[in-house]
Amino acid sequence: MNYNVLILASILLSGVPVAFTQQMQLAPMPSAVRERLSGLVPSPPPLRSTAQEQPAFYGSSNLYQYMDGAADTFQAYDIQALFHQDFKVGPVELTVDIFDMGTLENAFGMYAAERSPKYDFVAIGTEGYRDEGILNFFQDRYYVKLAGFGAGVDPAVRQFAQAISERIGGDKGFPAFLSKLPEARRKPRTEKYLAKDPLGHPFLSPAYQAVYELDAGESILMISVGASAEDAASRMRSLEDHFRHTGHWNPASEFGRGAARGSNSFEGSLVAAVSGHYLLILVNPPSNSATFFRDAAARLQ
Amino acid sequence: MKSLHLWNRRDFIAKPTVWLAASHLLGGSTVLFGQPTQAEPAAPHPEAGGKPICRTLGKTGITLPIVSMGVMNADVPGLIRRSYELGIRHFDSAAHYQEGRNEEMVGSMIKEMSVRDQVIISTKVLRPGWTFGPRAPDQARNYSPAEVKAHFLEVFESSLKRLQMDYVDIFYNHACDSEADIASEGALEALTALKKEGKARFIGVSSHRPEMALREVTKLGVYDVVLTTINYTMANDEGLLKAIDEAANKGIGIIAMKTQAGGFRRPDARAESPLPPASQTAALKWVLRHEAITTAIPGYTRYEQIDQDFPVAFNLAYTPEEREFLSAKNVIAEAQFCRQCGQCRTDCARGVDIPTLMRSHMYAVQYSNRDLARFTLASVETGKGLDACSSCGACKGTCRNYVNIGTKIAQLKALKPDIAV
Repeated sequence: MNYNVLILASILLSGVPVAFTQQMQLAPMPSAVRERLSGLVPSPPPLRSTAQEQPAFYGSSNLYQYMDGAADTFQAYDIQALFHQDFKVGPVELTVDIFDMGTLENAFGMYAAERSPKYDFVAIGTEGYRDEGILNFFQDRYYVKLAGFGAGVDPAVRQFAQAISERIGGDKGFPAFLSKLPEARRKPRTEKYLAKDPLGHPFLSPAYQAVYELDAGESILMISVGASAEDAASRMRSLEDHFRHTGHWNPASEFGRGAARGSNSFEGSLVAAVSGHYLLILVNPPSNSATFFRDAAARLQ
Repeated sequence: MKSLHLWNRRDFIAKPTVWLAASHLLGGSTVLFGQPTQAEPAAPHPEAGGKPICRTLGKTGITLPIVSMGVMNADVPGLIRRSYELGIRHFDSAAHYQEGRNEEMVGSMIKEMSVRDQVIISTKVLRPGWTFGPRAPDQARNYSPAEVKAHFLEVFESSLKRLQMDYVDIFYNHACDSEADIASEGALEALTALKKEGKARFIGVSSHRPEMALREVTKLGVYDVVLTTINYTMANDEGLLKAIDEAANKGIGIIAMKTQAGGFRRPDARAESPLPPASQTAALKWVLRHEAITTAIPGYTRYEQIDQDFPVAFNLAYTPEEREFLSAKNVIAEAQFCRQCGQCRTDCARGVDIPTLMRSHMYAVQYSNRDLARFTLASVETGKGLDACSSCGACKGTCRNYVNIGTKIAQLKALKPDIAV
């Protein structure tokens, strides 16, 4: 095998192609997108920092080049573009990644997919969290991730984040649909938007969910968003088919008209009912949860 | 029931870009369809009480069903329980998957099911300073071996806490894409210390560069397992197949990842037609028909994916649909993979160095790597480059691998301002 073929093979076999060269986006990335994303980093950059290179841009089709398998989740949330650039601020080296997720919902969904309620949250963007040398936040259609190292990294990361947040602007709101989830007994910062495979079932997407403390344990309340009442009913039938095939499916009228309880050995128990063009699902419903479920369904009417 | 994987052709091509091309290249050989296996029993459904094909992981003595679970993208605990119920016994996670919550989910499910002694748990830690994406060596901070060792030990302990376990079965030095990563002194010290303490029963590396990783691990003789990208795109890579055999002969356990997707570029974004479920199982079977590979870790985010993939562990014989899919010319044509056979050189009256131009195209378009495209283009002998091509179309239809040479050269010409020296 000659040298050229070896090079070819090494790249084909590599999820992250050769590290000795810099990746640049040649595939069509509209200049308007490049300019919009580049414009989110103030010029000159904060803290008199210096850019270490020209920004690199990635789209959905080549995001693997940047993050290998981690791209799967971003693609599930329909990533539009990624802006990537490294900066140096004194001893601090800083990487700025701005993910354009296309919509507020997808930006929130991607952010929430990586969020844990246990994180150290900061008031930057709509919501953000930090760790040593790391600060991630979402705002509008953007999910912004900053990471760095070196003495004084945390203040530098925070100032960069603030500057980018100001450039993004907007009203910093959460997706409006989250207001349909009941607030009472909701565990803070457990809300999610699931663009794909909610509860492991593609027919339930898209959906919103949050964790609730209804009893000693935790339950998940999910709203699967149908395109119509007929679509919601179809989702219910798919769920019924699944549980009839893998476990049990029985009426649960105490949870409302048409409600049913599904259970099997690997998913446990859930209650589901159609409400308007939504399918409402309560996973791990405690015995005293019927009123909670009916009230949640009423909010959807 | 709807088709299982609802990938369209675009999704498919976006991931395992060139694997299909190789089927034609290899002409339906045993390489094309994988090695014949000794075990091709009838295919009982997992729930029908049959036993999956099991293999031993190198010198570790661990015996596993040939289909396992990569937990990486799963965030539904029931997927782990379902996998276990069906017979999957190996669950692969990493410290940074979902910022640690992936390990938490694995740990809580294993504890809830009380099956710790029935399963093989692996996790991985990235080296300090590791970041996504390219970073020139002089941009990366140099960590001392002591710092690297301390980092591995610290993150490993946090992994154990999240997993609620006293030990893991396999602990990987994660994302090793160079020999230096694999031979990292600090990482080796940490991993061997953890193995000695019994906190990691076995140690390994994960890598997206399989041949390099297999050769380096074989040479070092320290690691027990290599977790690496192996899929159908590599059907024509004799070097890799040889490295697999050599590593296996030395007792290195080999686990395959990205068997059906991931890590590959899309050559053509236009294709949209749905792909059959057979594409998934065919790809998985191709990998597992190599007996030196102990198991594969497909990722599951849906129950139907488990139901589709795990039965592969019971029967590696191709169905007619899978065999047809692996041979499908239209799919091969879309992959548009230049095998660098050089046949086209004689077809071009002007002596254009078509293979090198095709390589430049691959770097420029499929890999979006302007520098490497420029470098490759510059290596073309004077008078045989882009300018020598008169776009006469004589090459049209002459490529045995269905590469549309004329179109690609035209695209290269359009990109010339960006990649010309």
